[in-house]
Amino acid sequence: MGNFELIWWVLALPVIGFLIQSLLGQRIVGLFGQTYGKKVAGTLAVLPIAAAFVLGAGLTLTLMDMPATSRSVVMTLFDWITVYSISIPFEVVIDPLSMTMVLVVTGIGSLIHLYATGYMAEERDYTRFFTYLNLFIAAMLILVLGNNLAMMFIGWEGVGLCSYLLIGFWYKDLANAKAANKAFITNRVGDWGFMLGMFAIVAFLGTNADRFPAGDGRYLSFDRMLPVLASLLSENPGIATLIALLLFVGAMGKSAQFPLYNWLPDAMAGPTPVSALIHAATMVTAGVVMVNRMHVVFEFSPVASGVVAVVGTFTALFAALIAFGQTDIKKVLAYSTVSQLGYMFVACGVGAYWAGMFHVVTHAFFKALLFLGSGAVIHAMSHEQDMRWYGNLRKYIPITTATMTVGWLAIIGVPYLFAGFYSKEAIIAAALGNHHATFLGGSTEFTGWLLLVGAALTTAYMTRMTLLTFGGAQGRWQQPETYEAAHADHHAHADHGHRAHAHHHGHAHDDPHGFFYTDEELARREALEPHEHHHHLTPDYKPKEVPVSMWVPLAVLALLSTGGTAYFMEHHHAFQHWLYPPFGGEHGTGLTMIKGHPVIDPEAISGHPHGMLGNKMALVGLSVAVMLIGLAYAWAVYGKRLPDKEGFDMSRWAKFRLWAMNQFGYDAFILKLLVYEGGKTVGNACAALDQKLVDGIVNLTGAVAQGLGGLARQAQTGYVRGYALVMLMGGVALLVYLVSALSGGAR
Amino acid sequence: MTVFMVLSAIAILAALGVVLFSSPVRSALCLVFNFFTLAFIYFGLKTELLGITQIVVYTGAIMVLFLFVIMLLNLGGPQTWKERFEFRTVLGFGFGFALAAVIASQVFANFQYFDKPQAPDSFGSPQALGRVLFTHYVWPFEIASILLLIGIVGSIMLAKRKL
Amino acid sequence: MTGNNLADYLTLGLIMFSIGAVGVIVRRNPIVIFMCIELMLNAVNLTFLAFARFTPTSAALADRAESFMSGQMMVVFVMAVAAAEVAVGLGIIMAIYRLRNEIDIDEMNLLKG
Repeated sequence: MGNFELIWWVLALPVIGFLIQSLLGQRIVGLFGQTYGKKVAGTLAVLPIAAAFVLGAGLTLTLMDMPATSRSVVMTLFDWITVYSISIPFEVVIDPLSMTMVLVVTGIGSLIHLYATGYMAEERDYTRFFTYLNLFIAAMLILVLGNNLAMMFIGWEGVGLCSYLLIGFWYKDLANAKAANKAFITNRVGDWGFMLGMFAIVAFLGTNADRFPAGDGRYLSFDRMLPVLASLLSENPGIATLIALLLFVGAMGKSAQFPLYNWLPDAMAGPTPVSALIHAATMVTAGVVMVNRMHVVFEFSPVASGVVAVVGTFTALFAALIAFGQTDIKKVLAYSTVSQLGYMFVACGVGAYWAGMFHVVTHAFFKALLFLGSGAVIHAMSHEQDMRWYGNLRKYIPITTATMTVGWLAIIGVPYLFAGFYSKEAIIAAALGNHHATFLGGSTEFTGWLLLVGAALTTAYMTRMTLLTFGGAQGRWQQPETYEAAHADHHAHADHGHRAHAHHHGHAHDDPHGFFYTDEELARREALEPHEHHHHLTPDYKPKEVPVSMWVPLAVLALLSTGGTAYFMEHHHAFQHWLYPPFGGEHGTGLTMIKGHPVIDPEAISGHPHGMLGNKMALVGLSVAVMLIGLAYAWAVYGKRLPDKEGFDMSRWAKFRLWAMNQFGYDAFILKLLVYEGGKTVGNACAALDQKLVDGIVNLTGAVAQGLGGLARQAQTGYVRGYALVMLMGGVALLVYLVSALSGGAR
Repeated sequence: MTVFMVLSAIAILAALGVVLFSSPVRSALCLVFNFFTLAFIYFGLKTELLGITQIVVYTGAIMVLFLFVIMLLNLGGPQTWKERFEFRTVLGFGFGFALAAVIASQVFANFQYFDKPQAPDSFGSPQALGRVLFTHYVWPFEIASILLLIGIVGSIMLAKRKL
Repeated sequence: MTGNNLADYLTLGLIMFSIGAVGVIVRRNPIVIFMCIELMLNAVNLTFLAFARFTPTSAALADRAESFMSGQMMVVFVMAVAAAEVAVGLGIIMAIYRLRNEIDIDEMNLLKG
């Protein structure tokens, strides 16, 4: 069995790092002084994650030594909840899926921690940042390692919390706080679906408890639940659809699919390492991990799988179109993430779950690279994020340029040489050839074709971004016309002042209720603080390359984004067999295929994958053609300079591009519907309820009393004879009663 | 028996006269007749003292008082009361009749078998009454006398012009 | 009067009582109403005396106050109270007459709520 106890250290190390940072961090900085203290604290933040990675790698090697069908080890720490017949222990599972994710999370996590020690070096709240970041790694590890849905949910909620804390890191700016709220609340909507899915599973299994091994109440644990579900759901496809859709709602919230995607672009308000780690590589892929764990449910429901595939396709195309209208470099990457997540969900929808995970891994590499590179660019350009100021940066920051180019080539899918190609091919091939998912009764082959269109769009906007940033003959910030154009248009300037900076003192008009500091207070605090960033772009500004701590991670990620790793993962279906060993194992972890399963056979997908294309090379040729089309368009438009139609003068922008910039009105619509109008409606309804119903009841009691009194008053006529009459009538009645009672009783 | 029948007929007619005459003087005189007749019936019941007391107190004092007041208020003159007809009247008649009927149903059924007087014949004599009144009932007797005193004081207070 | 049974006296008393009750309701002159009340009281007196004469005495009551004697005592006190009541009542009527110069009982509805 080896030393699987080490998994507890893998979980504990980030927690220890979190505790050190939170309890001792400020003391260390105070003890050693600003510069050295931060270096020490930063090192103490990176080391636990790196150590966890090493331990994880060791455990993975141990796991690889085991035979393919029994790679699943469940370790229990303690019995957490035992209520009636349900038992939810604190347990983790060591199997290929969880170890893959552990490696991704801790590996990329440690690289980003290293990067952040350089990026955040001028922050006053340096240790607070690493506290949250370590906590995030801990929560993410619980999510991927957990052996039951409740443990996964702990991690789910934990990463949502850390996302909120980190997006709102620079909380003094009201816009950041709003973005953090938006992320958390939108996630919550997804969590509602996830919880309902959990309840549905427990309820369904509870009514069929006789199929469980006796005495074991771990309804939610994967090793117990999934084999039972497999046998039960074949008879109840409707329940499978229900559970699958509910769980997918949770995945939609966490992984930013339409309609719950609108928090991700706003989340770019957080620091760039956060965007790289959380909103590109790890947290947003939690939905894909969850679908992979619960793939049994999706396999029994073609309808739900079809929904997943279609939602993924729509999201991929929608986000790609929006990316064309963005001028902020981080926003382009954010929408790119949403789009790529759509690709992953298409893979899961058509039944090729392993392809989704493959894309998770390669996307983690190149997207983290792209984000960290953009962070380097922003750092070099003195915190200016608007691409309209860039241009010709290859002359000044060569290392960043080289690594970002690698990332760019990976994401557009240059064949065989870079990683993105392999995973995207796997997804599109599976989508074209699948027989599993059905949408509205028909086949979902159209998703494959649409994903090809999406690939063209991806190439186009990513090339646009790269060319605007690094291409061109001369940097636009060096040309005086740019400043005139920017200051002439008030919008651009305001955008420049607000949106481009996530980090600046809050303006009073941003904070009408005075929740944050007043301007005088802020000025006073600013005088105490060492730094407040404010861009100082002038025509003679020279960008500087980033320090070592920042470009080393870039180089490592660039290396991983080249084709080498992905080639070995794809070769002989190595990764697929790693996650989903072919047709083995009655032992139930989430990943071994269930024997005799009639619905899906992963060999069938990759064996006859390409639908009407017929063979693999045709698909490669088609995707190369698509890529070249995107490249040609982008080169033609953006190759030399920024077109006038996308400059600072917003009136010259094309209508469609402006519409795309506003997310086609979706975000405004949702906010208006749910928050402003919806809030007003609910408020009015509650007010009406209070005034009409509650007050009405109170007034009604008064009115009733008044009415009854008014009625009763009429008996007091004041007429003596009337009173006498009533007395007589009463007397007669009494006598009648007595006579009847007595005569009835006595006789 | 026939004596009783005659006397009771007179009493009932007089009672009807009290209620039905519109002039209050005539009602009062009918009531006098009624009381007188009742006194004779009391004699028939062998309660002689109470019969005499009825004549002296009721007819002699109370009815005289009534007549005084009627005369004093000048109500007996030619103008007589016109009683309006109301719904209340019908109800009153109806319920009065119902009252009589209800009680009569019990009286006729149960009490007609009591035809032998159980009390000794001398039970209504002054000696018998006095013996009981001043021994066993002396406390109510004294209270009744105080009540009469209160009545006197009260009526004088009420009837004065100025207090 | 021999040969009468209890039912005869009770019937007479009942009829007088009913007539008096109707009279209280029907008449508007308060003096006449008073007289009807007196009628009712007399009916009750008659009933008491009839019962005193005709019903047997129980052994328990024999030494203290025989039921035939107690019936007569009741009548004595009724008479006394009736006298007092008439005196006071007529005094009230006089006072009302002096105040309002009329004694229609329907006009006296100050208790109207």
